[in-house]
Amino acid sequence: MTAAKAARQVFGFFGFLGRRTGKTRVFAALGLIPVALAILVRVFLHGRAGLMADVSTEILMVFFLQFYIVILALFYGTSVAAEEVENRTLSYLITRPIPKTSIVLGKFAAYAALMFAMVGLSLGLSYFIINAARLGDPEVYGTFLRYLGVLGLGILAYTAFFTFLGTVLKRAIIVGLVFGFGWENVIQYFPGSTQRFSVVHYLKSLLPYTPGSTPTGRGVALLLFRLEPTSPVVAVLVLAAITGVLLALACVVFRTKEYLPEE
Amino acid sequence: MSAVIAATNLSKWYGNVLGLNDVTLELEEGITGLLGPNGAGKSTFMKLITGQLKPNIGTVTIRGRKVWNDPEIFRGIGFCTEQDVFYEDVTGWEFLKGLLRFYGYTPAEIAERAARALDIVGLTEDKDRLIRGYSRGMRQRIKFAQAVAHDPEILILDEPLSGLDPLGKRKLIRLIRDFKSQGRTVLVSSHVLPEIEALTSRIVLIHQGKILAQGDIPFIRELIEKHPHQISVRSSDPRALAARFVGDTSIQKMTFDPDGRTVVVETHQRDGFFGRLTGVVLEAGIEVDEISSPDDNLQSVFEYLVEK
Amino acid sequence: MATVREKGYSHWDGRLEERRFPWWPITRTGILLAFRKKRFKFLFAGAFFPAIVALVGLYVSERLEDFKAFIQGSDRLLNIGPQYFAGYFLNDWLLFMILLVLAYGAGGLIADDLKHNSLQLYFSRPLSKKDYLVGKMSVVAFFVLIFTAVPGLILIIFKLIFAGSFKFFLQYPWLPLSVLGYSALLTAFFGFYILLMSALSKNSRYVFVLTFGTYIFSTVLYGILNGIFRTPYMALFSIPANIQQAKAFIFGLKLPHGFPAVWSFAVLTGICALSAFVLGRKTRSVEVIK
Repeated sequence: MTAAKAARQVFGFFGFLGRRTGKTRVFAALGLIPVALAILVRVFLHGRAGLMADVSTEILMVFFLQFYIVILALFYGTSVAAEEVENRTLSYLITRPIPKTSIVLGKFAAYAALMFAMVGLSLGLSYFIINAARLGDPEVYGTFLRYLGVLGLGILAYTAFFTFLGTVLKRAIIVGLVFGFGWENVIQYFPGSTQRFSVVHYLKSLLPYTPGSTPTGRGVALLLFRLEPTSPVVAVLVLAAITGVLLALACVVFRTKEYLPEE
Repeated sequence: MSAVIAATNLSKWYGNVLGLNDVTLELEEGITGLLGPNGAGKSTFMKLITGQLKPNIGTVTIRGRKVWNDPEIFRGIGFCTEQDVFYEDVTGWEFLKGLLRFYGYTPAEIAERAARALDIVGLTEDKDRLIRGYSRGMRQRIKFAQAVAHDPEILILDEPLSGLDPLGKRKLIRLIRDFKSQGRTVLVSSHVLPEIEALTSRIVLIHQGKILAQGDIPFIRELIEKHPHQISVRSSDPRALAARFVGDTSIQKMTFDPDGRTVVVETHQRDGFFGRLTGVVLEAGIEVDEISSPDDNLQSVFEYLVEK
Repeated sequence: MATVREKGYSHWDGRLEERRFPWWPITRTGILLAFRKKRFKFLFAGAFFPAIVALVGLYVSERLEDFKAFIQGSDRLLNIGPQYFAGYFLNDWLLFMILLVLAYGAGGLIADDLKHNSLQLYFSRPLSKKDYLVGKMSVVAFFVLIFTAVPGLILIIFKLIFAGSFKFFLQYPWLPLSVLGYSALLTAFFGFYILLMSALSKNSRYVFVLTFGTYIFSTVLYGILNGIFRTPYMALFSIPANIQQAKAFIFGLKLPHGFPAVWSFAVLTGICALSAFVLGRKTRSVEVIK
């Protein structure tokens, strides 16, 4: 069986397993919170639908960009390797005729698809509830797709990073937490090139607005505060490179390292 | 006969702890029992030959191919782990089908093989129950099922009989023997001699990471035979009993316990002694409370071999 | 002939006699196990960093002439009062480190017992559910108090020593009580919070994510709701904001959020009550498999 076919089989198996677990239900339920918030905004602030829609969407993006995809990627990314070692089920996988790299890639793809589904559903519902008054405007759909694309790239990049951490470190979750909620939150506010040493910088550079472009003229302080954006093309390339390189490294480490279960 | 599994100068360290100490071994077709107490290195050896661990020194090959990072080799190998671990949120049926996917079978083949494996281990009726709800014996059987579902040539079974009741053990032993009769190679590990004895006459004895002895059971027993058996007889008149055996040249030594009711006899001819004991007891009218063999166990065998 | 039991572990049916501290072995073991984890000692030491900085600040404030060149214009060091001590407790680093130490060192307190089916082992001994939970909670209490009450009281003592008089104590006699009261609040809250998270899963890595995720999410939610509704009451959704509000009340300072502190106490108590309910259900000696 080729590596690609093996990865597809791993994808299928862990996609099935991932949908089954209680943890996925909990994370999916977390994604319903922005939907509830969107309903609240529509119910309580419908008089100011136009302006509120812009501001609310951007505020909700704080939830998605700086919390939801990070926490999902942290858990599922580190699970790619760590879960098998902790649960001692690794022997079921590495004693099958499938390359070890297929295990990493297949699990990564399965969990990324799962996360994308959760995020997509949550974003879709909350976005279109908030923008219900403007469903006839094609720009709304374009903006939605752009948001979805940004979050999708974020899922891939963060998950690749945490997958790599999970293959290398025993306590990857702590390092991942410090990176995801410490480094990523702090470094993006540093001026100059320093902010380019974070994943979230490139994601923010892809958002469908720039500082000062909203009707209020002030932009959204929350997400774009001190952002010195990189060009969209470069941002996409960097995110793709981060994903590719870290996944490749994860495959190399997983292939060469032996994993001893903790007694 | 050429070796199926070959280990050459195989050594493995866990940090400062030596797990396997310069093991050179060749295993041929048929059933081989790997026997040793807990911590002897049986699981380490099995993990090395199934590619879960990488040797620090030496090589391990299966049919001439190195095991580490050669996934294709596992097409013909089935492994049953010692640990009671599963993907708990699936049924037995889903578990087997999920793992069979990795062999490139068609969906119809996967279903057929899974059904056959469940039938072999007697879990067809429980196939739609979550593994989390299985009893210990059922979990052991589903583990065996996943090892045999793809019809492997070589079976590596790490303590497959642990946790099973006597009936379950008998069924599994029969299954393993069936595999051997189909021309397959089976390596079974255990720390219980009678279990291995029921499966095969070919044993490898391992202790503290070293191979102590290899051969047929009679050969191992012979090692014991070179060391006198101890037989303890608790009776109403141990000294009268002992007096009856003083002239018996097969008896090496007799000692009396401080309780004054037990005589411990050392002899090379244990079976002969038992035969004569019955007659002596009846003739002398001595009441015997208990007969036991304090050293007729694996520990004694190992103690002897280690001292050697 | 004695009855042959079918199972190895069954609930102990004997009468619980009066025993002193039956929960103590659980607490002691929990603390020892936390210190056995590799990086835990490093985290534990790191959590003392704010206390050391505060202590240095106290010293400097009493030796102003020597340090004048360094602290020009900084009136925080000149003004040692309740806000200085409250500032130690509200230090973001301290709260983060307490949470990290607890999530890493104590996150498996109940999760590991659920994973290894150890509850049966506990309750087949003369141990009540209350003793079990008190024992586990005491592990959390140990770590929280060692970062809050102990340094807090030591800072007050050192302030008196550096000042060479009891003037500070006479000026703020209620300060030690505030330190103890706030430490007790943090201990109770984090005790229930960590045990709640630990009881929700058998997977300690998931517990770790859940612990931090919930804490951080509450702040994110506050930010979002505040951005939409622009009312200070949205701070009730944030765990750190509620802790801040309670702290300010206990130290007699100006409340950071524009609503009565009683609401924050109610929210924190509500979380503790939820935790007690979940813990009561989860810590059973028999697992029901559906």
